[in-house]
Amino acid sequence: MATKVAASAAVDFSRVYSSLGLGKETIASLQAFRKRHSEAQRLHAQYSGQPTTVDLARYRSILKNTAIVDEAEKLLKDFKPVTYDVSAHVKAIETFEAKAVEKAKETEAKIDIELKELQATLANIEEARPFEDLTVEDVGAAHPRIVEAVETMMKKGKWTVPGYKEKFGDLNMM
Amino acid sequence: MPQLIPFFFLNQLSFSFIILLALVYIFSKYILPLYTFQRVIRMYITKLSNKN
Repeated sequence: MATKVAASAAVDFSRVYSSLGLGKETIASLQAFRKRHSEAQRLHAQYSGQPTTVDLARYRSILKNTAIVDEAEKLLKDFKPVTYDVSAHVKAIETFEAKAVEKAKETEAKIDIELKELQATLANIEEARPFEDLTVEDVGAAHPRIVEAVETMMKKGKWTVPGYKEKFGDLNMM
Repeated sequence: MPQLIPFFFLNQLSFSFIILLALVYIFSKYILPLYTFQRVIRMYITKLSNKN
Protein backbone atom coordinates (compact mmCIF):
# COMPACT_ATOMS: atom_id res chain seq x y z
CA MET A 1 0.00 0.00 0.00
CA ALA A 2 2.77 2.40 0.95
CA THR A 3 4.64 1.76 -2.26
CA LYS A 4 1.45 2.32 -4.21
CA VAL A 5 0.89 5.63 -2.50
CA ALA A 6 4.49 6.60 -3.15
CA ALA A 7 4.13 5.64 -6.79
CA SER A 8 0.92 7.66 -7.09
CA ALA A 9 2.42 10.66 -5.34
CA ALA A 10 5.53 10.65 -7.45
CA VAL A 11 3.65 11.36 -10.67
CA ASP A 12 5.18 14.38 -12.32
CA PHE A 13 2.14 15.93 -13.95
CA SER A 14 3.99 18.51 -16.00
CA ARG A 15 5.93 15.67 -17.55
CA VAL A 16 2.70 13.73 -18.07
CA TYR A 17 1.14 16.69 -19.85
CA SER A 18 4.09 17.51 -22.05
CA SER A 19 5.89 14.33 -22.90
CA LEU A 20 3.30 11.58 -23.21
CA GLY A 21 1.53 13.06 -26.20
CA LEU A 22 -1.92 12.78 -24.66
CA GLY A 23 -4.98 14.09 -26.43
CA LYS A 24 -6.45 17.47 -25.60
CA GLU A 25 -9.56 15.94 -24.07
CA THR A 26 -7.52 13.60 -21.90
CA ILE A 27 -5.39 16.46 -20.61
CA ALA A 28 -8.47 18.60 -19.97
CA SER A 29 -10.22 15.85 -18.02
CA LEU A 30 -7.03 15.09 -16.11
CA GLN A 31 -6.69 18.74 -15.16
CA ALA A 32 -10.36 18.87 -14.15
CA PHE A 33 -9.85 15.79 -12.00
CA ARG A 34 -6.79 17.31 -10.32
CA LYS A 35 -8.74 20.53 -9.71
CA ARG A 36 -11.58 18.57 -8.10
CA HIS A 37 -9.09 16.70 -5.96
CA SER A 38 -7.34 19.85 -4.73
CA GLU A 39 -10.73 21.50 -4.10
CA ALA A 40 -11.85 18.52 -2.05
CA GLN A 41 -8.58 18.59 -0.12
CA ARG A 42 -9.01 22.30 0.58
CA LEU A 43 -12.59 21.83 1.78
CA HIS A 44 -11.59 18.94 3.97
CA ALA A 45 -8.82 20.98 5.57
CA GLN A 46 -11.18 23.91 6.08
CA TYR A 47 -13.94 21.92 7.71
CA SER A 48 -11.71 19.69 9.79
CA GLY A 49 -10.17 22.83 11.30
CA GLN A 50 -13.53 24.06 12.59
CA PRO A 51 -14.60 23.33 16.19
CA THR A 52 -17.08 20.52 16.66
CA THR A 53 -18.16 21.22 20.21
CA VAL A 54 -21.11 23.38 21.29
CA ASP A 55 -20.55 25.83 24.13
CA LEU A 56 -23.81 25.16 26.05
CA ALA A 57 -22.80 27.16 29.12
CA ARG A 58 -22.71 30.31 27.01
CA TYR A 59 -26.21 29.64 25.68
CA ARG A 60 -27.42 29.01 29.20
CA SER A 61 -26.05 32.34 30.34
CA ILE A 62 -27.53 34.26 27.40
CA LEU A 63 -30.97 32.66 27.02
CA LYS A 64 -33.66 33.09 29.58
CA ASN A 65 -35.40 29.89 28.71
CA THR A 66 -32.91 27.39 30.06
CA ALA A 67 -35.29 24.48 29.51
CA ILE A 68 -34.76 24.72 25.80
CA VAL A 69 -30.99 24.66 26.34
CA ASP A 70 -31.37 21.56 28.50
CA GLU A 71 -33.44 19.95 25.80
CA ALA A 72 -30.88 20.90 23.20
CA GLU A 73 -28.12 19.44 25.36
CA LYS A 74 -30.07 16.24 25.80
CA LEU A 75 -30.69 16.01 22.10
CA LEU A 76 -27.04 16.69 21.43
CA LYS A 77 -25.97 13.99 23.86
CA ASP A 78 -28.42 11.51 22.44
CA PHE A 79 -27.41 12.26 18.92
CA LYS A 80 -25.44 9.52 17.36
CA PRO A 81 -24.28 9.83 13.81
CA VAL A 82 -25.48 7.07 11.61
CA THR A 83 -22.59 4.82 10.86
CA TYR A 84 -22.09 3.60 7.41
CA ASP A 85 -20.10 0.56 6.58
CA VAL A 86 -17.57 2.12 4.25
CA SER A 87 -15.17 -0.79 4.27
CA ALA A 88 -16.75 -2.21 1.13
CA HIS A 89 -16.37 1.12 -0.61
CA VAL A 90 -12.81 1.48 0.64
CA LYS A 91 -12.04 -2.01 -0.55
CA ALA A 92 -13.50 -1.26 -3.97
CA ILE A 93 -11.53 1.95 -4.15
CA GLU A 94 -8.37 0.14 -3.11
CA THR A 95 -8.80 -2.52 -5.74
CA PHE A 96 -9.56 0.18 -8.27
CA GLU A 97 -6.44 2.06 -7.21
CA ALA A 98 -4.34 -1.08 -7.40
CA LYS A 99 -5.70 -1.76 -10.84
CA ALA A 100 -5.12 1.82 -11.94
CA VAL A 101 -1.55 1.82 -10.66
CA GLU A 102 -0.90 -1.51 -12.30
CA LYS A 103 -2.35 -0.26 -15.55
CA ALA A 104 -0.33 2.93 -15.30
CA LYS A 105 2.85 0.94 -14.78
CA GLU A 106 1.95 -1.25 -17.71
CA THR A 107 1.31 1.80 -19.85
CA GLU A 108 4.59 3.31 -18.73
CA ALA A 109 6.47 0.18 -19.73
CA LYS A 110 4.64 0.14 -23.03
CA ILE A 111 5.44 3.79 -23.65
CA ASP A 112 9.08 3.17 -22.78
CA ILE A 113 9.24 0.40 -25.34
CA GLU A 114 7.51 2.61 -27.88
CA LEU A 115 9.92 5.42 -27.15
CA LYS A 116 12.86 3.12 -27.68
CA GLU A 117 11.42 1.99 -30.98
CA LEU A 118 10.83 5.55 -32.03
CA GLN A 119 14.38 6.46 -31.13
CA ALA A 120 15.65 3.53 -33.16
CA THR A 121 13.50 4.72 -36.07
CA LEU A 122 14.85 8.23 -35.63
CA ALA A 123 18.43 6.96 -35.65
CA ASN A 124 17.56 4.95 -38.74
CA ILE A 125 16.18 8.03 -40.46
CA GLU A 126 19.17 10.12 -39.49
CA GLU A 127 21.63 7.54 -40.72
CA ALA A 128 19.72 6.79 -43.90
CA ARG A 129 21.53 7.34 -47.14
CA PRO A 130 19.92 9.07 -50.12
CA PHE A 131 17.96 6.96 -52.55
CA GLU A 132 20.67 7.26 -55.20
CA ASP A 133 23.18 5.55 -52.93
CA LEU A 134 20.90 2.60 -52.21
CA THR A 135 22.45 -0.72 -53.16
CA VAL A 136 20.91 -4.04 -54.09
CA GLU A 137 22.43 -5.54 -50.92
CA ASP A 138 20.68 -2.93 -48.77
CA VAL A 139 17.28 -3.77 -50.21
CA GLY A 140 18.02 -7.49 -49.92
CA ALA A 141 19.02 -7.04 -46.27
CA ALA A 142 15.89 -5.03 -45.57
CA HIS A 143 13.63 -7.59 -47.28
CA PRO A 144 15.03 -11.13 -47.02
CA ARG A 145 11.77 -12.24 -48.63
CA ILE A 146 13.05 -10.91 -51.98
CA VAL A 147 16.29 -12.87 -51.67
CA GLU A 148 14.30 -16.04 -50.99
CA ALA A 149 12.02 -15.34 -53.96
CA VAL A 150 15.02 -14.90 -56.25
CA GLU A 151 16.56 -18.12 -54.95
CA THR A 152 13.40 -20.07 -55.74
CA MET A 153 13.31 -18.41 -59.16
CA MET A 154 16.85 -19.62 -59.77
CA LYS A 155 15.95 -23.15 -58.68
CA LYS A 156 13.02 -23.18 -61.08
CA GLY A 157 15.18 -21.84 -63.89
CA LYS A 158 13.32 -18.58 -64.15
CA TRP A 159 15.82 -15.91 -65.12
CA THR A 160 13.47 -13.23 -66.34
CA VAL A 161 11.36 -10.89 -64.31
CA PRO A 162 7.80 -10.53 -65.61
CA GLY A 163 6.99 -6.97 -66.59
CA TYR A 164 10.60 -5.83 -66.51
CA LYS A 165 11.10 -5.52 -70.26
CA GLU A 166 7.87 -3.58 -70.70
CA LYS A 167 8.87 -1.14 -68.03
CA PHE A 168 12.60 -0.66 -68.57
CA GLY A 169 13.22 -2.10 -72.05
CA ASP A 170 16.39 -3.99 -72.94
CA LEU A 171 19.51 -3.56 -75.01
CA ASN A 172 18.93 -6.58 -77.29
CA MET A 173 19.53 -5.82 -80.96
CA MET A 174 17.34 -8.65 -82.21
CA MET B 1 54.34 -42.38 -84.30
CA PRO B 2 51.99 -40.01 -86.02
CA GLN B 3 48.89 -41.97 -84.98
CA LEU B 4 49.43 -40.74 -81.42
CA ILE B 5 49.29 -37.07 -82.32
CA PRO B 6 45.56 -36.59 -81.39
CA PHE B 7 46.33 -37.82 -77.89
CA PHE B 8 48.81 -34.99 -77.42
CA PHE B 9 45.78 -32.66 -77.34
CA LEU B 10 43.98 -34.59 -74.61
CA ASN B 11 45.59 -32.38 -71.98
CA GLN B 12 44.25 -29.23 -73.62
CA LEU B 13 40.87 -30.82 -74.22
CA SER B 14 40.33 -31.97 -70.65
CA PHE B 15 41.40 -28.65 -69.24
CA SER B 16 39.11 -26.73 -71.53
CA PHE B 17 36.18 -28.94 -70.45
CA ILE B 18 37.03 -28.46 -66.80
CA ILE B 19 37.32 -24.70 -67.23
CA LEU B 20 34.08 -24.62 -69.20
CA LEU B 21 32.23 -26.50 -66.47
CA ALA B 22 33.73 -24.27 -63.81
CA LEU B 23 32.69 -21.17 -65.71
CA VAL B 24 29.14 -22.45 -66.16
CA TYR B 25 28.93 -23.24 -62.47
CA ILE B 26 30.35 -19.92 -61.31
CA PHE B 27 28.20 -17.91 -63.67
CA SER B 28 24.98 -19.72 -62.91
CA LYS B 29 25.57 -19.75 -59.18
CA TYR B 30 27.19 -16.43 -58.42
CA ILE B 31 27.16 -13.96 -61.26
CA LEU B 32 24.02 -14.25 -63.36
CA PRO B 33 21.57 -14.49 -60.42
CA LEU B 34 22.78 -11.04 -59.38
CA TYR B 35 21.30 -9.60 -62.57
CA THR B 36 17.93 -11.20 -61.91
CA PHE B 37 18.15 -10.05 -58.31
CA GLN B 38 18.89 -6.52 -59.43
CA ARG B 39 15.96 -6.56 -61.82
CA VAL B 40 13.57 -7.89 -59.18
CA ILE B 41 14.67 -5.18 -56.78
CA ARG B 42 14.43 -2.54 -59.48
CA MET B 43 10.83 -3.61 -60.10
CA TYR B 44 10.15 -3.66 -56.36
CA ILE B 45 11.44 -0.17 -55.57
CA THR B 46 9.73 1.19 -58.66
CA LYS B 47 6.45 -0.24 -57.41
CA LEU B 48 7.16 1.21 -53.96
CA SER B 49 7.81 4.68 -55.35
CA ASN B 50 4.68 4.45 -57.53
CA LYS B 51 2.59 3.59 -54.50
CA ASN B 52 3.56 6.78 -52.66
